[in-house]
Amino acid sequence: MGRENPAAEEALCLLRSRLCDPNFIFKPLSDSPDSNYSKLKFMISSSITEACNNSVLLLGPRGSGKVAVLELVLRDLLLEYPDMISVIKLSGLLHSEDVCAFKEIARQLCVENQLLFSKMASFDDNSQFMIAMLRECGLAHKTIVFVLDEFDLFAQGKQRLLYSLLDAMQSVTSQAVVIGVSCRLDADQLLEKRVRSRFSHRKLLFLPPSSEDLQRLMEHILSLPIDSSLPQDYAVEFNAKLQNVLADKRFKVIIDTYMNSDSTANHLLGFLFRAVSNMKLENGFLTLENFEAALSNVQRQPKLESLKDCSIVELYILVCMKRLEVKEQNSYNFNSMMKEYKSIHDSLRTPDYYSRSVCLRAFEHLLQRELISFTDKRGQNQSVEFHPVKLLVSFHELHQGLKSYRSCPAILQKLMAG
Amino acid sequence: MGKEESPQVTRRTTRSSSSAANLDNVAEKTKAKDPPPPTLNDLLFGEEKPITLDDLLSSFPGRRVQILELLRILGPVNCPMLPVFIYGGTSTGKTSIILRIFAHLNRPFVYSSCLTCYSPRILFESVLDQLLLHRKSAANGYSSAKRCERPSDFVNFLREALTSILCNLQGNSGNLRSKKLEGQANGHMIYLIFDNLELVREWIKSNTMLPFLFNLYDILKMPEVGVIFISNTSPDTYYSCMGYVEPTPVYFPDYTEDNLRQIFMRNQSNKKLYSSFLDIVLKPFCRVTRRLDELSTAFSLLYKKYCEPLSDQGIVPNEDMKRRLFSQLQPHIASSLNEIFRVISLPSAEVGATKKPKRKDTTRKSGGCEVPDQLDFHMSTSAKYLLISAFLASRNPATLDASLFDSTGGSDSRKRKRKPSEKSKEHKETAEQESLMKGPGTFPLERLLAIFQCITSVAADEEEQENDGLGIQAGDNSLMSDVLLQLSSLCNASLIVKGGSCPLDGSTRYRSTVCEDMTLQVARSLKFPLSKYLYRG
Repeated sequence: MGRENPAAEEALCLLRSRLCDPNFIFKPLSDSPDSNYSKLKFMISSSITEACNNSVLLLGPRGSGKVAVLELVLRDLLLEYPDMISVIKLSGLLHSEDVCAFKEIARQLCVENQLLFSKMASFDDNSQFMIAMLRECGLAHKTIVFVLDEFDLFAQGKQRLLYSLLDAMQSVTSQAVVIGVSCRLDADQLLEKRVRSRFSHRKLLFLPPSSEDLQRLMEHILSLPIDSSLPQDYAVEFNAKLQNVLADKRFKVIIDTYMNSDSTANHLLGFLFRAVSNMKLENGFLTLENFEAALSNVQRQPKLESLKDCSIVELYILVCMKRLEVKEQNSYNFNSMMKEYKSIHDSLRTPDYYSRSVCLRAFEHLLQRELISFTDKRGQNQSVEFHPVKLLVSFHELHQGLKSYRSCPAILQKLMAG
Repeated sequence: MGKEESPQVTRRTTRSSSSAANLDNVAEKTKAKDPPPPTLNDLLFGEEKPITLDDLLSSFPGRRVQILELLRILGPVNCPMLPVFIYGGTSTGKTSIILRIFAHLNRPFVYSSCLTCYSPRILFESVLDQLLLHRKSAANGYSSAKRCERPSDFVNFLREALTSILCNLQGNSGNLRSKKLEGQANGHMIYLIFDNLELVREWIKSNTMLPFLFNLYDILKMPEVGVIFISNTSPDTYYSCMGYVEPTPVYFPDYTEDNLRQIFMRNQSNKKLYSSFLDIVLKPFCRVTRRLDELSTAFSLLYKKYCEPLSDQGIVPNEDMKRRLFSQLQPHIASSLNEIFRVISLPSAEVGATKKPKRKDTTRKSGGCEVPDQLDFHMSTSAKYLLISAFLASRNPATLDASLFDSTGGSDSRKRKRKPSEKSKEHKETAEQESLMKGPGTFPLERLLAIFQCITSVAADEEEQENDGLGIQAGDNSLMSDVLLQLSSLCNASLIVKGGSCPLDGSTRYRSTVCEDMTLQVARSLKFPLSKYLYRG
């Protein structure tokens, strides 16, 4: 692959590594003075210079670049104030338990300050160590920045971590910033009263980029640098072709359909990643077809796909279940489905009539495909035939699926309709 | 292929690596000697030399689009990638293709299946063991390299292990840029593959595990790590535990009829003959299932049947012979369609032995339900009676016990049944509906024992009449011996299951899972008039 055109391969690698690097992507969105980047940077740097405590919540939908912007800010501040900041990062997914969280804080503090970390330290030891470290750092005019990713998960349980963090920040000796990152807009409402009263209630809202921003972002990500190891004429040609694609009406339609469901930046990245992967290395340019292919790759209709994978018997079972639901039978299982199947066969003489055992296995396949499921998880010792089941596809989807099914028996369509 | 014995390759003997090697005849060299100390190359697929793209494509007919798509996503050497989510039905080649792709690319990867690693701890430790090049052996007491249970510890260890591995890889590629060693890893990316991800949803901690796994890439923040998920179910079945940005999806559809034909035609010695065989069987079978694993078991038996009249297996069939063979096979197709899913323990001996659909058993656990005609039940007489009485207790309403088993009451109940009014008919319909829904009823132990006593005494009476009072008490005695023991062994065979306990008196209730056909067979073997005692709506 790609031995034909080393420049194209290099370009592809460059684009892909850009797409996988959130810091690069959110750089241009943080230029303007009223961006979240500037606000956040101002806030943290002022608390560093004025040696005060602070806390802030970064809120916004998943994939809107909260962590990426925060990382950018922290990276720049670390350059600006070397030796004055130490960053402790926790994630709600990993450290939502208090014991775990304190241990991780102690571990990271030890690493930062070249201390020996004891794995055997107890919860109390660790929390006392943290308080002591906060005081020491305060005396040394060193700010500790706590980043709590998935902040809402820390609010489960007793919130001991949040309380001791925010409580420690009430004293003048400590010097720390707590930054919570969450995609729950009501994250501060989850806090207990004693915690909420100690929280500063500063919030930064991250909104999905506007369409102009999106356009700028795509240009920023996809165009190649002119002054790099890439051959210059290739880069210029690549950029010119890219501009053509970006300006194309059809491209706008593609982007609009894709961004309709979710207009965050990370959502766009997934799409661009597929498009860039689709790039043909032989000619080495991004074309409109790449984006079209990416759209069909990314936008999937899983239920319709699995309907297409079904065999005829499985479709019969689905249609029988649909008919039972139309009859308003409030709960049904394999046996009642078989009764319906048999009655259909008796009245219409379908060519596809199989024995009970075959149907049972087909039924199990459907369960595996998750087109149907048991209505309740209880009573597992009861056998499959007697378990009440329900359809997981809507009638409309089933209808759609039958229509698009290759060589679907006409009789099934008829049964489905009436 | 003796590679299962060789510990050196067992790390990579996944279901598909063995099957894929089977398909390709690229058998690995087995080494009988002691395994060498693990090296970085253990993270490769473990082939002598990488397979070519053409080999890869030709070994998976009908999967060209998916293979190319995956190769595009994985990209050229040392290209970072976003997480990928591969999904598609069972036996569509997801795992084997991704593993073969890595054999082709010759890049290091870590494969762990959530099927064998059935809890977070085992999953974490398996990943770490592979990364730390740790091999469980008698010397280390078959323990893992690191003990870690929590995701937080796992991430720390993982980051450590990955950094050291990546350092090594980078060092390697730096040193050996000029002369590429055979079997040397390509590039300095490492890929983590998680197979059977759908099973994680059933784990106890699934609501934290799934977001964690899906977010692993973002948590690690290492562009040199690629994460690949393989799942049987589509991404929308994970929505209930949302909390992550969706990975980019790759879909493996089920094989079409043409694909199946291509697959079955591979490695056939007599292609013409097999093709004419497929002409007959493929179409009807595809209406029932398109799953490769099920079809191949069914076809292997049918093909033997098909070839039976032929003396020479290498013969090229002409039209006439095809017709003859077709008429020969035709009756078998229908029957085999109906028993397509039967699990056959002795394939060669049992071909065509049973024509009746046998998979009418109730629970999947109870494989013991499938008893071919000609085999006798290896059960004692009392166990058989117990089985019958359990069946009766499950099917008959408890209120009718007295009338059914009392010799005088029997006629009474029949009289009552004779006048079906409109209302009772309606009643009957709903009752039928209910019985369809509810399945066999539950019963307490006392009722089972009472029925058991009744029917055994009847049997003993009959025996008495036959023997003219010779074995007066003998039959009864033998039948009543250790009934409770028999009951527990029937429970173990899950012919009878323990249901929930009664909410009022707290005693355990039982339920018979045996189907009517089988009970009838049991009754026949005892010459017991089952139908006389069975209440029918």
